[in-house]
Amino acid sequence: MTSPPAAALPSSGPTAGKAASRRPAFDLKGMMASLTVLRLRSTDLALIERQLRVKIAQLPHLFLDAPVLIDLGALTDGAADLSFSGLVGALKSCKLVPVAVANLPDGLRSAVTAAGLAVWRPPTTPGRTRRDGDGDPSETLPAESSPTQSVVPARPPSETVPGSTVASALPRSSHAGPMVVTQAVRGGQIVYAQNNDLVVLAPVNSGAQVIADGHVHIYAPLRGRAVAGAQGLPGARIFCQKLEAELVAISGAYIMAEEIPAKMRGKAVQIFLENGECQIAAL
Amino acid sequence: MDPHREAHVSKVVVITSGKGGVGKTTTSANIATGIAQQGKKTVAIDFDVGLRNLDLVMGCERRVVYDFVNVIRNEAKLQQALIRDKRVDSLYILPASQTRDKDALDPEGVGRIIEELKQMGFEYIICDSPAGIEKGAQMAMYFADEAIVVTNPEVSSVRDSDRVLGLLAAKTSRAEMGGPAIRTHLLLTRYSPLMVKRGEMLSVGDVLELLGIPLLGVIPESKAVLQSSNKGTPAILDETTDVAQAYLDVVFRYLGQERQHRFIEEEKRSFLGRLFG
Repeated sequence: MTSPPAAALPSSGPTAGKAASRRPAFDLKGMMASLTVLRLRSTDLALIERQLRVKIAQLPHLFLDAPVLIDLGALTDGAADLSFSGLVGALKSCKLVPVAVANLPDGLRSAVTAAGLAVWRPPTTPGRTRRDGDGDPSETLPAESSPTQSVVPARPPSETVPGSTVASALPRSSHAGPMVVTQAVRGGQIVYAQNNDLVVLAPVNSGAQVIADGHVHIYAPLRGRAVAGAQGLPGARIFCQKLEAELVAISGAYIMAEEIPAKMRGKAVQIFLENGECQIAAL
Repeated sequence: MDPHREAHVSKVVVITSGKGGVGKTTTSANIATGIAQQGKKTVAIDFDVGLRNLDLVMGCERRVVYDFVNVIRNEAKLQQALIRDKRVDSLYILPASQTRDKDALDPEGVGRIIEELKQMGFEYIICDSPAGIEKGAQMAMYFADEAIVVTNPEVSSVRDSDRVLGLLAAKTSRAEMGGPAIRTHLLLTRYSPLMVKRGEMLSVGDVLELLGIPLLGVIPESKAVLQSSNKGTPAILDETTDVAQAYLDVVFRYLGQERQHRFIEEEKRSFLGRLFG
């Protein structure tokens, strides 16, 4: 289960109105939608449901009636023995709304449509492959949207996290300019700049998380976790004045503390994606 | 003279830390005693409902009849539960209950009692927080105007203090009502310059850099703390010990006087130096 919302529909451009008659009964639009991607690593329905319930219990309001894209790309022994109607039932019993299946192996299309699910085709935008947590190079989908399981911090802010109210008090609209945080982000706090850049002028301490859908700037030591491009934005970057991070992630690719080269520790750096991997460069 | 006080303005101060065993209760007892010695009407409230330690450390455990929870539940009047200290006139203790748990505390009840204490003219209301970040700790900090965060010079204590500082900024009455931020002070306890020198402890500088709040004082590691706890006499009352000196500094500094920080450097004087110094 990947928890962050995923920008599942890279824009194919608005198509509305092209074939519209005088009084259209509807608009047909391509849009960026926020979807949760459920990447299956097992075909054991009971196991899936059990673990799902545990996950949901942690952030119930986030998952209630949420649309879910089922990704079969990580199933190693194939999806042939997966019961799609059973899976749909299991997800619905968890108050999730399965909408489509991605990375569908050949020959299963009829089973999927019979279960009432759509077949998701990967967008064919070039240059969007990126490193996955398991280093699965065959992964093509969803292009920007499948955060690795380990990137726990790429979560929208949640009222269930004590001390995370910093985020809710701040502007979220992309028209409001970047979110600016002037006080220290302390252990246990989460600050999330939705659809926005995040500028932090005080230390991000160990155990804290700063997340932005755009860039993350920290003009102080970064000791906790920082995530840029949380909904999938390979061009997002993290800038910090003193790198002592526990984890940095961009658009799903991440580096843990022990992977940070010693010569970069404590330095002013930027972190960006190159060939799908996080790179650290001195500023 | 005293920038903290206008005429009879009550100040609610929480002594908190996150981690247990770092010296919250010791600090509460000593700071409350020290402030009261300056003639200010002071009460120390034990929020550690279910455990009850403050009355022991302050040597009034045999005089506990009613407690904090009794008052919250209207089973006793506040005046009946308050214990007047025998050594310092303007010092009172509101003991915790040993037979209840922390669920007995609720914001309405705690708020009502703090308001009543203010009406009674208490200038300093010292809230001794339980360890952890659960309900008891949150109740202790909820109505605070200021916080003294007690930290030991080691990583886990510092991390817990950081967590608590985050809660102080978010989960208190001031934060929820959008009032001015709670003033926070760092008190570093159980400090041993020798261990810092050996690299076995974080230094004052390390801790200050990590937490980023002003330093109120450094209390040296000392056997006097344990002895005074066992005797039920706050260490600050025996002015010959370095712990008492350190807490006195803290109290005066807290009340607005300038005092140089001590007990940060290792004692440098040699044996001969001490003989002739």
